[in-house]
Amino acid sequence: MSTIKTNAILDASGGNTTTINGATPTAYNTMGKNRIINGAMEIDQRNAGASVTVPTGNDAYNIDRWNAQNDTDGTLTVQQSTTAPAGFRNSLVFTTGTADTSLAAGQIAFCRHIIEGYNIADLAWGTSDAKTITISFWVRSSLTGTFGGSLTNGDNNRSYPFSYTISSANTWEQKTVTVAGDTTGTWGVGTGRGLSLWFGLGVGSTYSGTVGSWSGSSYFSATGATSVVGTNGATFYITGVQLEAGSVATEFERRPYGTELALCQRYYFVLAPKATLQPTGVASYYNNTYLATNVSFPTTMRSSPTVVSASGTDYFIAYRAGSSDTFNSWTRDSGAVSQQMVEIYNNTEISGTGGQVATTRTNNASAFVHFNAEL
Amino acid sequence: MYKLHRSILTNEISVVNKIDDGVLMSIPFDPANTDYQEYLEWLAEGNTPEPAE
Repeated sequence: MSTIKTNAILDASGGNTTTINGATPTAYNTMGKNRIINGAMEIDQRNAGASVTVPTGNDAYNIDRWNAQNDTDGTLTVQQSTTAPAGFRNSLVFTTGTADTSLAAGQIAFCRHIIEGYNIADLAWGTSDAKTITISFWVRSSLTGTFGGSLTNGDNNRSYPFSYTISSANTWEQKTVTVAGDTTGTWGVGTGRGLSLWFGLGVGSTYSGTVGSWSGSSYFSATGATSVVGTNGATFYITGVQLEAGSVATEFERRPYGTELALCQRYYFVLAPKATLQPTGVASYYNNTYLATNVSFPTTMRSSPTVVSASGTDYFIAYRAGSSDTFNSWTRDSGAVSQQMVEIYNNTEISGTGGQVATTRTNNASAFVHFNAEL
Repeated sequence: MYKLHRSILTNEISVVNKIDDGVLMSIPFDPANTDYQEYLEWLAEGNTPEPAE
């Protein structure tokens, strides 16, 4: 065995693309390099692979950590897909139902990932030490041409439009975009919004800007970019999204499924998925009409979460003392703002005996209990 | 529509509820919670929630 002692290994041009067994060992090629959570689109706690309509008026999360909005005259659906490039199991697919062939200036359809400030603090954006980052992703569309996206800060008053070209229809292609960090503007470094990565699906001129430079405007795509919502039946798939420090796109960071799920659960936690017979906890009767249970989160959530409970007649059931009570929903009780635990209760339909203990479940295929601390 | 919620146990009001399409959202008064931020924006537009019972 030989030992090589050297201070640097560079490529033939003196750069940092040297490979060892096919891998590029850059300084940033380490665990946690990918600031995107669920970049491989594998976690879908909310919809479990079901197709949903992209909403108008407000953005909504579909698969974990990815949200979308469609404020055009067309319609879009979004769904986790098993169509994926080699090395991936899933992608996120948008499909146009009804097209909007003439977008007004202020109309917009987009897909977005918001990175928490803590996870970009080291990039030092908004300072003279701002680091360069590289975005890489796989895309596939029934359309070809130039597509657009953008990076923005939390307030969307700093933006960097970028473009990429899809050359062949219905073919996976990997794209990379390198961006010099923004040296001005305010970039969140705490539990709030840090950096948003946008992919335009049809963006009017008001929100489209010139690629390749930072702006004080709210640009979410590139001027002249292809509109996915502009063509009936058009599809747009994306996966393998990575945002990392440095000027080189390194191999996609593979994290264990459980690790990726835990990262997602900081922002959204499903206690009971939409199904019947799902346990929702052991609860106790404070009095004859007040049933409560405490829910501990598997990981500390980003903020104290909103309790999101399906509400319908007899959607939930409590088994106690040889009998049972049905009730319509779980509600969050007042109390301390906690990111670790929450008390949920019902006092509108419950009729039991104070001091009794019950095991509780969903009692309808449409019932669920979720916790939301998204950005 | 938003409706303020008073705790049975402590009598405090630190949650606001919202029902939308068969989904009940119970939103804590946490400034970091984006649903609470939306509620504050709704208030700032001059709206008023239903009072707590």
